[in-house]
Amino acid sequence: MPIKILAGSSQHQLYKVITWSLFALLVAGVAFAYVDVGSISLGENNYNISLIRLNKAIAFAIAILGLQVVAGFTGQLALGQSFFFGMGAYASAWLMADHDWPFLLTFIVVVPLCFVIGIVMGLPALRIQGLYLALVTLGFAAVFPAIVKLDRLFSITNGVGGKATGPDGRKYKLEPPEWLPLDGIAETLQKIPLLGGYFGDGGISSKQEERMWAFMMFTLIAVVCFWMVANLIKSRQGRAMRAVRDNPTGAAVSGIDLARTKAMSFGIASALGGVGGAVYVAEVGLASPDDFTQLLAINFIVGLVVGGVGTLSGAVVGGLVIALVPDWASSTQEVGFLPERWLQGPTGSLILGLLLILLTFFLPGGIVSAARTLKNKIVRIIPRGPNGEVPGGASLATPVTADDTPDEPDSPVDELVGAVD
Amino acid sequence: MQLFVQRLFDALANGSTYALVAVALVLIFKATTLVNFAQGELAMLGAFVTLVLAYEQGIPMWLAVFLAMIILGVFAAGVERVLIRPFDPADHLPLVIITLGLFLGINAMAGIVWRFDPRSFPELFPSGNAFTWGSASLRWYTVFTVLTVLVTIGLLQLLLNKTKIGLAFRAVSSNLESSELVGIRVGPTLQFGWALAAAVGTLGAAVYVADPFRQLEPSIMLRVLIFAVSAAALGGLDSLWGALAGGIAIGAIQSLVVPYVPFIPNELGLAAAVVVLMLVLLVRPAGLFGTPAVSRV
Repeated sequence: MPIKILAGSSQHQLYKVITWSLFALLVAGVAFAYVDVGSISLGENNYNISLIRLNKAIAFAIAILGLQVVAGFTGQLALGQSFFFGMGAYASAWLMADHDWPFLLTFIVVVPLCFVIGIVMGLPALRIQGLYLALVTLGFAAVFPAIVKLDRLFSITNGVGGKATGPDGRKYKLEPPEWLPLDGIAETLQKIPLLGGYFGDGGISSKQEERMWAFMMFTLIAVVCFWMVANLIKSRQGRAMRAVRDNPTGAAVSGIDLARTKAMSFGIASALGGVGGAVYVAEVGLASPDDFTQLLAINFIVGLVVGGVGTLSGAVVGGLVIALVPDWASSTQEVGFLPERWLQGPTGSLILGLLLILLTFFLPGGIVSAARTLKNKIVRIIPRGPNGEVPGGASLATPVTADDTPDEPDSPVDELVGAVD
Repeated sequence: MQLFVQRLFDALANGSTYALVAVALVLIFKATTLVNFAQGELAMLGAFVTLVLAYEQGIPMWLAVFLAMIILGVFAAGVERVLIRPFDPADHLPLVIITLGLFLGINAMAGIVWRFDPRSFPELFPSGNAFTWGSASLRWYTVFTVLTVLVTIGLLQLLLNKTKIGLAFRAVSSNLESSELVGIRVGPTLQFGWALAAAVGTLGAAVYVADPFRQLEPSIMLRVLIFAVSAAALGGLDSLWGALAGGIAIGAIQSLVVPYVPFIPNELGLAAAVVVLMLVLLVRPAGLFGTPAVSRV
């Protein structure tokens, strides 16, 4: 029997506060516990969960969030996300290395740049639909490395060698601010009985501080992105997007501007791809052309599907999966029944491919839908009716009178979307 | 002038191999209105099977290619039955995802089994030049590649137009529901389409890597697939001869237009193909020889 919580009640507020604080604690805990190389041992194998990998996962999660907007919520198969990921990475690296911009400031350029190019490249997509759009966008994704390697762009992209984020091919340093007592926090955490051992011992070096700060900053960027997209999905624009996905003709008849809605979703998705790329390059320190091939675009699709198409939390799960699975697959040295040869090649890609196929069959909603089913067995949030009335026993006791008829929704599509979700 | 003729010959050689893979795409598109993203990887797998048969079993080259075509055909028929048929053909997202999963899976599997180091592929055609004119030379490879494509498409036309299963295939591709009503077994017919496509794709990959300048490795078909997709779209996604015309046109763009037009850098042959793909879909979605899609709204 699940605990039932009424949406908007004080218990619901408390529930939200508790879950968010747990999340914040988790982030901080992970930052301090895994700053070097945390690992899980299974048999003979060590699986690393250092911040380096988690930072990549955050970058991927933001890019997959963009895919969620365009493919998950608007239903457009614009699958070439690696193109914008790469563009964001290069733009950010170029600004940091050649123009001495601080990392956070580069978003002022990266976001509008990717947004505009996303819309421009999306314009043909207003006529091209479904499968064909998938073809064209994957084609663009395949072309990106060739564009970056062009001789004419050498001064910006540094050709085959890749563009470093700092001057003279070094990595851009993300200095933690003076006011943040990371050292002190680490010391306090180490004093916690029983758990203290997980947080290492002794003070933390400047390199570790840098890494921790990067992780926290990237998490914050990701939270802002997710928060904005969550609000977008709930807004009028978001409802229009879902209407376009569920029934384009119906949406158009209800007065939704299909072209505008689609173009917006392309722009937002591309901007998110760019943000993800900027985070990625800040972590890796080098934008190298062959990191951004159509294989990366396909990996993003794997992340989209594995997490769950049309869910925001699915993007996080997807980011973790595509960052960690290939890495863990290559660090697996021994699995009882498998011959060694199978563990030395691109085993990670094989697993991702199999995941893609198996999930489409057995769990079309992705991991998130399974997790939600589980969660509903423990805690269930009961939504209120359109007028704020309480559903269930209470509302059944007082029958709805003629005065109580709900307000007219904004448009029939809103109603339809409400019913679908 | 001699350089131009040389480039023309290159265009023919490249274009006809693209056409073979494009024909495979067209066959699947005709059957299921689906573009099989894994087609290139299936073809690459076929080329590896050929290599294994020829080197490790000592089977003569052409027989090995033929056997590989059959093996891949059976494999693709199995893939269709298990992975494709359970889904609604009108809903593209799951099918795109499945074929992308196949793409990743087959590519990784080949990488695990055969590794990524390039292998030389035995020549299928006599080496040397059929014809030389100054510095321009027409290789026998080019001649036989073009012939192979012509014969393949000719045979496919015969198969589709003169046999019972071909008739069933055409019926299904023109109207799936009606053909079901008149008693055609739709499932096996589509399966036949997949098998045929995989076989033709295998031939395409074998011919492509049989060029002495190329070597076989698991990612060889990544680029070819994009050229083939543009070729198929340009020729009209449901026309076999269109695939040939599209293939030659894309080959010509790659070998002729890109070197001669000053503002397109040489490395952008692939980009030119993608732009052609986009323009075709924008301006004339049915391609040059395809049937325009008609729908009742």
